[in-house]
Amino acid sequence: MRGVYTPVTKLRRQVFTEIAKMAYEKKELSYIEQLPYKIIPGEVAKYRDNIFKERAIVGERLRLAMGLPLRPVGEHQPLANGVEDCAKPEIFYQPPLINVIPFACNACPTATVEVSNNCRGCLAHPCESVCPMKAISIVDGRSVIDQEKCVKCGRCIEICPYNAILKYDRPCAAACGVDAIGSDELGRAKIDYDKCVSCGQCLASCPFAAIADKSEIFQLITAINEGNEVIAEIAPAFVGQFGPLATPEKVFEGLKQLGFSDVYEVAIGADLGAVEEAHHFAHKVATGEQKFLATSCCPSWSVMAKTLFPKVADCVSDALTPMVATARIIKKEHPNAKIVFIGPCAAKKLEAQRRTVKSDVDFVITFEELMGMFVAKDIEFGDMEQAEPVNQATGAGRGYACAGGVADAISEAVHDLYPDLDFKVDRAEGLRECRKMMTLANAGKRDGYLLEGMACPGGCIAGAGTILPIKKAQTSVKQFKDKSQMHQAVENPRVPDED
Amino acid sequence: MKRLQVQVCACNKCIMMGAMEIMENIESLKKLKVQLRLQTQIDLIMDKKICGDLSDDAAPVVIINDEVIEQATPEIVMEKIVKLTQRK
Repeated sequence: MRGVYTPVTKLRRQVFTEIAKMAYEKKELSYIEQLPYKIIPGEVAKYRDNIFKERAIVGERLRLAMGLPLRPVGEHQPLANGVEDCAKPEIFYQPPLINVIPFACNACPTATVEVSNNCRGCLAHPCESVCPMKAISIVDGRSVIDQEKCVKCGRCIEICPYNAILKYDRPCAAACGVDAIGSDELGRAKIDYDKCVSCGQCLASCPFAAIADKSEIFQLITAINEGNEVIAEIAPAFVGQFGPLATPEKVFEGLKQLGFSDVYEVAIGADLGAVEEAHHFAHKVATGEQKFLATSCCPSWSVMAKTLFPKVADCVSDALTPMVATARIIKKEHPNAKIVFIGPCAAKKLEAQRRTVKSDVDFVITFEELMGMFVAKDIEFGDMEQAEPVNQATGAGRGYACAGGVADAISEAVHDLYPDLDFKVDRAEGLRECRKMMTLANAGKRDGYLLEGMACPGGCIAGAGTILPIKKAQTSVKQFKDKSQMHQAVENPRVPDED
Repeated sequence: MKRLQVQVCACNKCIMMGAMEIMENIESLKKLKVQLRLQTQIDLIMDKKICGDLSDDAAPVVIINDEVIEQATPEIVMEKIVKLTQRK
């Protein structure tokens, strides 16, 4: 449902805005009890069968937005239970990051192949002929599928001349590239956290607004309110996300009006990573010491690749991700600052909780959460004067935002640094496709390759926390990239010389 | 050819409440010129805040010629545009 504004989108954004407002206006913490009534006013249900359920679901979403856990459905607990603990200027939430609100879940049926009313009961009925399981029979002049026998191979779907047979999966499970969505005892979606890589595609796909991730906006705003030096690093996918008036320069200015003392482009870290990976590729892969090099900037992809393909886990780059590389630069220049990564991605929240990253990045918020902060603080891009041009990173680093951009940046760096080196590139978008690519690599069919993996189809611009439709975002990133005064990653003066 | 001016508010609140998606939907109408029998040129503008004096709940705001639509949705806006632009 990306690119379509639905009541689900509206509710999600209202929740972020209200929590941000509550934090900026320093309301009593018990004020959270009033918010479900503010977001769902009146006495008549608008979205579901009754207004009490609507408010209860919004209540759970508000808790998650505060970084609090879901309440157990079978026990009495006030909505504000635990809010005192989370009102701190530091990360509060505990995993799991992505949560299914059980009573919001519609318990959609799991994968099934069904015959629709389009079936004409034709004389040929080729569906029956092609079924390898004899699962299709003709009953009362129509095809009927025996669900016990059906293996969902899809042959009947392909052959039906009336497009009468459909394969259907619950949207959250269909969006999950690592098959982490199962069912609880009531048939509702349940996430297997051993498999989940927190890409957030399920939460962006659930049409019942039953899946949400925990947020850190309340703690971040508390840190700003307490007068801490808070510095933002913003991922290159930000361009265009906040509407046509929000030029990159004005977004930087808007962030300062929100209370950030400075803003850095995460594309700086992308430049550093591209050059480091180019050297690594030339020294290790081109020499045959290492089979291939898989990029590491997308945490969902790299976790999936390392977990599912342990034999080749050492082929996944260990270069710092752009988020961490940029954070380390900032920490060097501002040792006492709290650093906030602002990006399109839910998985970065988990990456920032890793033992090795925890001291580098203090908070992670998404573009959608940031939009809630802009609205809560009444910041208007139209009211701002055009500020200083943003010129911290190269076009190559900014290109990391779109699928293909990471491989392009690294390849260009290899060509710049090692002009005689000839190599091949493969890339995949969406975890399902990434798995296919890694299966080939694991089998030795991608030796000598540079592999780019992106968990979200389209790349970072399609992350779960974005606002802009993907195609528009692609155009905006391209324009931002073209505007760069530096083009190749090696041109960035922050890139260190190779030791 | 007749012209229809459609303005979509570009303020933060309207963007957050779906103004970009409304814009997308209006743009998509241009591709359905033949199917919808459109005979009017749609001038789509989204370059400033236009919801200034309206209440906080008005977002997103769209103005079609001089008619102000509060809490606009893609379906309401597309329906109005199609009605105003279709050949009789």
